[in-house]
Amino acid sequence: MKPPSISEHDRRRKKALIALQLVCYGYLLMMFCIQLYMYSQRDW
Amino acid sequence: MSSNTLALGGTGNLDEHHRQSRQAQWQADKWMMSGALLLGTAVFGIFGLPLFLRGLWLQIRAERSGLTMRPVIVTLIGYLVAVDAALNTIGWALDLVAHHTLLARVFLMAWGNMFDAGYFWHYNELWIGGATAPGEKSWEIALLPIVFSMRIAAAIGFLQMKRWGHQWLIVTCWFGVVAWAGYIANMTLYADVRYTGVVFPVIGWWLYDIFYITPFLALPYLHSVNREIFSD
Repeated sequence: MKPPSISEHDRRRKKALIALQLVCYGYLLMMFCIQLYMYSQRDW
Repeated sequence: MSSNTLALGGTGNLDEHHRQSRQAQWQADKWMMSGALLLGTAVFGIFGLPLFLRGLWLQIRAERSGLTMRPVIVTLIGYLVAVDAALNTIGWALDLVAHHTLLARVFLMAWGNMFDAGYFWHYNELWIGGATAPGEKSWEIALLPIVFSMRIAAAIGFLQMKRWGHQWLIVTCWFGVVAWAGYIANMTLYADVRYTGVVFPVIGWWLYDIFYITPFLALPYLHSVNREIFSD
């Protein structure tokens, strides 16, 4: 049996959610990397 | 409708099935709530985990026996959010209003010594007491009454499969994104204050705190789940 096709609306919603997650986690990763860089430069 | 009720052997059976399902769910929830309460205290978390796992096992067993139970993913997300909010609340409430107690001075300063000097450096030396890291108190005042208390309420509604619980969990999960974006920026800007002289700078803090970021993971599910499973 053929699975039901995902509507265009759902497809767009999923894409937007993935993009938002990437932005959120990308930001956190960036902050972590900045802190790691500072750690390598300083005498903490 | 009539064919359904006939197939089930009449409405009496349906009512009985509903009653048994509710009873089994409540039985499982009693274990999970007890576990979550202990997990939320942090200190007694080790005792809470087995209680929670037993409740989860009861729920899965009842579902396998054919009863209509709450979806496991809803259970996991609901309790995770509640425990996360409770853990945040207890630590920050101690720092905000009980910073001179022996408990706070032992646990929070030990935490400060290990991972975050904001809880060690000049601790209890400002007029408000507690942590002295720049901005830390503002986060506590803003997030305790608004975000974390709201998150616990939303998680309870979500576990009851209420529509408002689902909606408010989405709202408070996005609150969480805002809170984390701001808090991590603060940690980075004042990194010299917070990491100087601690035992495990940066990596230790992130390893410990990454748990608190996990409620973000619920957002794709919350936005894509069939809303009809939640009722008014």
